[in-house]
Amino acid sequence: MREQTDIRNGDGGASERALAIEGLVKTYPNGVAALRGVSLQIEAGDFFGLLGPNGAGKSTLIHCTTGLAQPTDGSIRIFGHDAIEHYAAARLAVGLAPQEPNLDWFLTVEETLDYHAGYFGMPKKERRERARELLETFSLTEKAKERTRTLSGGMKRRLLLARALMHRPRLLILDEPTAGVDIELRLELWHYVRRINEEGTTILLTTHYLEEAEQLCNRIAFINEGDIVAQGTSAELAARYGVANLEDAYLALVGREELSRSHLEATAEVPA
Amino acid sequence: MTAAQIRFFALWRREINRFMKVKKQTIGAPLLETFLYISVFGAALGSRIDELHGFDYVVFVIPGLIMMAWAMNAFSNNSSSLLQQKFQGAIQDQLSSPASPAELLIAFSLGGFLRGMVVATLTFTAGSLLADLPVEHILVLIPSLFLVGFFFAQLGVLIGVRAEQFDDVALAQQFVLQPLIFLGGVFYSASLLPEPFQTLTHFNPVFYCINLVRYGFLGFSEVNVALSLAALAVATAALFALNLRLFQRGYKLRA
Repeated sequence: MREQTDIRNGDGGASERALAIEGLVKTYPNGVAALRGVSLQIEAGDFFGLLGPNGAGKSTLIHCTTGLAQPTDGSIRIFGHDAIEHYAAARLAVGLAPQEPNLDWFLTVEETLDYHAGYFGMPKKERRERARELLETFSLTEKAKERTRTLSGGMKRRLLLARALMHRPRLLILDEPTAGVDIELRLELWHYVRRINEEGTTILLTTHYLEEAEQLCNRIAFINEGDIVAQGTSAELAARYGVANLEDAYLALVGREELSRSHLEATAEVPA
Repeated sequence: MTAAQIRFFALWRREINRFMKVKKQTIGAPLLETFLYISVFGAALGSRIDELHGFDYVVFVIPGLIMMAWAMNAFSNNSSSLLQQKFQGAIQDQLSSPASPAELLIAFSLGGFLRGMVVATLTFTAGSLLADLPVEHILVLIPSLFLVGFFFAQLGVLIGVRAEQFDDVALAQQFVLQPLIFLGGVFYSASLLPEPFQTLTHFNPVFYCINLVRYGFLGFSEVNVALSLAALAVATAALFALNLRLFQRGYKLRA
């Protein structure tokens, strides 16, 4: 996958911002304020984790970035391209593996990849080669001719990731990619995304597995009630909340310190 | 091919692929239906009916059937396709691509347009084999059929985008479109109707579509052809403009 590096080198330096969000506000028509002025910077090459409880605004932030939701206010720039004004250039740089499988039941695995790459303007020969390569990578070759409806949950996850990678995005967004997958697949996915990150792809990951964020991400942000409340490395976040690890920092964020495992262990040691 | 062309054809191919995968239902069933109409109204009943405005009854009916085939298939294809993709969430793949609102709208429209064209062409072929069908004014026929196809393709997109459940699509199709088409004079001439139905028929927009297509084939029309064609063109353009506006705003597509 040398091309990942090639693309990155081809335009802009390593110091370029992959994602620059300023004052992003999203209020849904029903009045729910999902984002209340989020500002967030992700540098090119980062493996960035976005953590927060359900309903904190993670998916809304991702949807605004990928054009699936329309921001109420604020700006989003992807590798310098405004996500609203120059949406075509901005979206070309992004690949999204969504939280909810959104595959088309009518299409086969192979067609899913082929159409996606077509939507991103990739010529036929290149689409074929890229599809073959990703089918192989994600052990989907044998399923190539099957309709997506017949795939198991894990297979669907693989296909979502393969689809997101088809057009060789410079920013890969993974919205809870390992929710509900077995341990083998989780580790496989970890190895793969770590590798493409090393090769130059910037990654934005949302997850509820703190271990996953600690293992993979060089920077992490906490989002809660539509705002970024803290960001830094795992150690910086722990230090900021005056706790021992990322999990305790997260529990401090959501105000549930009593659930802390180190806290529970400490209490258990106290004789009755 | 440029990237924009590749993108557009991919969007369109997906729409074609969808109806070709279920062609028994999307092409076979409508064809059988038309064939049954021709058999019942043309062969069985038609022999008992005198000529209508100087044409064999079956010949009088076939142009309306061809128009109906194009209109209904264009409409139902696009409304179902959009609603289904919204339901599955699969439409997000197109929506998060670099495709522009106009590209998306035209590609979605042309899916049903093409399916309507296929069914209409097959109906025409069958009609020509079963009856002696003239083509009097091809320069009116082709633009009329294309406009009818495009108008109903747009209407299908509009209903599909607005719809939140399958009932919404069925409602539009079974309770609005089908009655308008049937009462627009596919199977009869409005001049045979008693008042007030004769006058009421003139308020049915489909009546003008049927007459345009019938004029193209038979050279017979109950309405002013030039005026109807102009009105149809304006209506089609207006509907397209409305849809484009909705797509640009992301109406019911982008949260």
